[in-house]
Amino acid sequence: MSVAWIGSQPVPLTDAIRNAAKLLASCRCPVFTLDTDVHGTRSTIALATMLGGACDHAKGQVLANEVALFTNHGGMFTTPGEARRRSSLIILVGEIPPLHHDLLQAWAASQPDLGDKHSRRWFHIASDETSSSHGKLLRQLKAKPLRGEGLSLEATLALLRARLQGRPALSSLSNIDSFEKALATAQFPVFVFSGSSVETAGLVMLQGLIADLNRKGRTSSVFLPADDDAWGSALASLWMTGFPLRTGFINSLPSYDPVQWDVQRMIDAKEADLHVWVSGRSGQIPPKGEKIALISLSRTEVPTAGAAVTIAVGQAGVDHDGVAYSSRIGTFRAVQAVTPSHLPSVSKVIGQLAGALPGRREFAC
Amino acid sequence: MLIRLSGGDVVDPVNGKTSQRDVWIRDEVLIDAPKGEAADQTHDVSGCIVMAGAIDIHSHIGGGNVNTARLLLPEHHAAHMPRPANTPLSNAGWSTFQTGCLYAQMGFTTVVEPAMAPYTALHTHLELADIPIIDRATLAILGNDDFTLSLLRDGKSSAMIDDYVAWVVGSTRALGVKVINAGAAAAFKDNVRSFSLDDVVPEYGVSSRKIVKSLQSSVTRLGIPHPLHVHANNLGIAGSADTAAATIAATEGVPLHLAHLQFYGYGTGGKRKFSSEAARLAEAVNANPDVTIDVGQVMFGQTVTISSDVMRQFSAIGNASPKKTVIFDGDGNGGGGIVPYRYKQDYYGSLQWAIGLELFLLITDPWRVFFTTDHPNGAPFTAYPELFELLMSSASRDTKSAELNAAALELTTLASVRREYTLEEIAIMTRAAPAKLLGLKDRGHLGAGAIADIAIYRKGRDIAKMFREAALVFKNGDLVVKNGKVSRYRWGKTLRLNPPPDKAIIKRMKTYHEERYGLSLDWFTFPDSAIQRDEPFAEVPCNS
Repeated sequence: MSVAWIGSQPVPLTDAIRNAAKLLASCRCPVFTLDTDVHGTRSTIALATMLGGACDHAKGQVLANEVALFTNHGGMFTTPGEARRRSSLIILVGEIPPLHHDLLQAWAASQPDLGDKHSRRWFHIASDETSSSHGKLLRQLKAKPLRGEGLSLEATLALLRARLQGRPALSSLSNIDSFEKALATAQFPVFVFSGSSVETAGLVMLQGLIADLNRKGRTSSVFLPADDDAWGSALASLWMTGFPLRTGFINSLPSYDPVQWDVQRMIDAKEADLHVWVSGRSGQIPPKGEKIALISLSRTEVPTAGAAVTIAVGQAGVDHDGVAYSSRIGTFRAVQAVTPSHLPSVSKVIGQLAGALPGRREFAC
Repeated sequence: MLIRLSGGDVVDPVNGKTSQRDVWIRDEVLIDAPKGEAADQTHDVSGCIVMAGAIDIHSHIGGGNVNTARLLLPEHHAAHMPRPANTPLSNAGWSTFQTGCLYAQMGFTTVVEPAMAPYTALHTHLELADIPIIDRATLAILGNDDFTLSLLRDGKSSAMIDDYVAWVVGSTRALGVKVINAGAAAAFKDNVRSFSLDDVVPEYGVSSRKIVKSLQSSVTRLGIPHPLHVHANNLGIAGSADTAAATIAATEGVPLHLAHLQFYGYGTGGKRKFSSEAARLAEAVNANPDVTIDVGQVMFGQTVTISSDVMRQFSAIGNASPKKTVIFDGDGNGGGGIVPYRYKQDYYGSLQWAIGLELFLLITDPWRVFFTTDHPNGAPFTAYPELFELLMSSASRDTKSAELNAAALELTTLASVRREYTLEEIAIMTRAAPAKLLGLKDRGHLGAGAIADIAIYRKGRDIAKMFREAALVFKNGDLVVKNGKVSRYRWGKTLRLNPPPDKAIIKRMKTYHEERYGLSLDWFTFPDSAIQRDEPFAEVPCNS
């Protein structure tokens, strides 16, 4: 089975590497879109540093929203493990992505063994609209909605904060009395949110509410990323460059700007002349219709449409061992291949690409 | 490869008096002068000082909290491009890559990250492995986790505590054990806002003192070379000197290392109820041979405080500059707080600066006082060259003192202390003593058999310049720095202990994690191959 193509023609991997390296060496401004594990991210960033490119994630917009909470504000957080063991009051904020529903159900099936050790109660801060999959989760958790008529999620958070601070408000929230009673008896309430569930302004309002509650008691929040691999890539980018993704390299020095280094914007504005798509996730392909040269590193059995070079790569934890961020534990985890395959890892292919570039340059990976 | 460094002034107190002599390297190690062999490579280092590579025992260079600080403060990193001289934090660089390069350029070849939360060990090691050139090591945090506290509450045997400590050290690839405000992070989750040595953790009924004493004994029994590394209670508050003095008094014949003592050197004297107790603490250290300390010197300018002492960091939110912080209630020993801070040349900043220097100068034994700024808490490590100058030149101290708050300095002994560190004392404090403290027999000196970690400085009147830009640095015999710039990149190793794990404790840990977290133990452990570098670790033996 072929793992490399030039255009639509299958070729030996070495030919594809050589061809891709030529494209990289001759381009003016390469941009990299990532969707891979920690080591795939490390190697791609190291390559971008050598070439002077820019790095973004395939889910760059929602990741930027999550990153902005930290770069603009900060907050108070705890881990999923601590929430499970210590929190008898969980408040979901907005819609939590389906990938985390198993985690929440596992919490619901367990009893806190630290802190007040009360049976767990659930609330849900919501806007008027809730998707059916989330509605099902909320019913399973028996979560009581905290919602105001016609209010957005951000407005609901603001109203809740005002109410808890004893400030006058023109409207009220459903179940607010019940919530205030629960809050008064819980030793370590935890708000759970995701970057895809609330806009940055709402996340900042939520953290303001949590700061208020910590003046006299204890409260924290669990951040469940919209995508675990995206958050893991952001963390790896931070230690390698000092910055989260949407970082570019000018003379090998990193520069962070979530607007300037938005890779899709750069492609659309023709600021970039080569797009390197790096995804170990099955079925993920680069956006169609891009008008610049494309190198595709994808988990695929066929060449990527429109790509000058396609190289098939494996997925960490499926085809090969690797390291991935896991929101189950709130940090990195070593993952073993479930079904080891012939597909090479992203880091191996990127390492070969770096080695095939003309001239001796430092590959920091 | 046989390398000869000829004609330098060799400062190597472990192996004799300072003298002009040649130093020989064969491949990765130092050798005595070979007879009848010509060097493959000779470097004329006449006019230079030759020392072993420096070792930093306490610098926050990697791991979850450091990375969160990067996330919180991208603006500091950006700021260093146009104005490097004015932004010390930015000079330190935020990336792992810069960390290795900047340390190497100053002649440092081994650095210890002193605070690894066991559950985030993989993250810490991934970062450490991406720091080029130097060797690294890290200390595992214990003393706030449910398992330790439950063992103590339930009166379990010291053998069981030892088994658990050994399992944590081995599975997290640590070089030692650190305790941070013992019990306070657990108490803070129960809404306790202050915590002293004899306060008790709610739910467990165990005092901070008992936690420290138990871990101190366990570390000693296990033969872990580095004594328990203690971040004491009440860091940073007026009156904290009493806590530090009580902790020093509690050693009871067992070794203990007290971290960043400057942050505990505060009394309640003066109009502002904030004064220096450095002389008292220095006297206590001088009188107690069980104790070693590092200073945590404050230098002026913008920095960010990074600490797993979550209770203390929460209390400092109001001082954040700029006004953004992260407070993290982690699992057991994890978590902490990120609070950016600017040290000003006002009363408080001046006093802190002076207290650090008093400790350096009044503690008489350079084998027991260690050179740190608690990077980045007191200052970024890139401020080291200026700190060397302050220690070696009383005139430099006088010059700087003249710029500072006179009322603060009047409450210290600094002006009356005229001691100037010699090069030999610097070599002890930054090379020989750290190696001894950490159990690293293969470094810290220039004797035959040591690894060829060597820093060569061009002698000059400008002490800071001399230490900022090493003329040459060798790491394991590789020439990695020339004229203050990295000339070759290489990947060092992370130094670790590997005490054999007890089978019963592994079984117990499996059960514990499945019951309490609903996850198998392999979610929290990792193989060496996860680091994806050739031989990422090097083992250091425990004392027999």
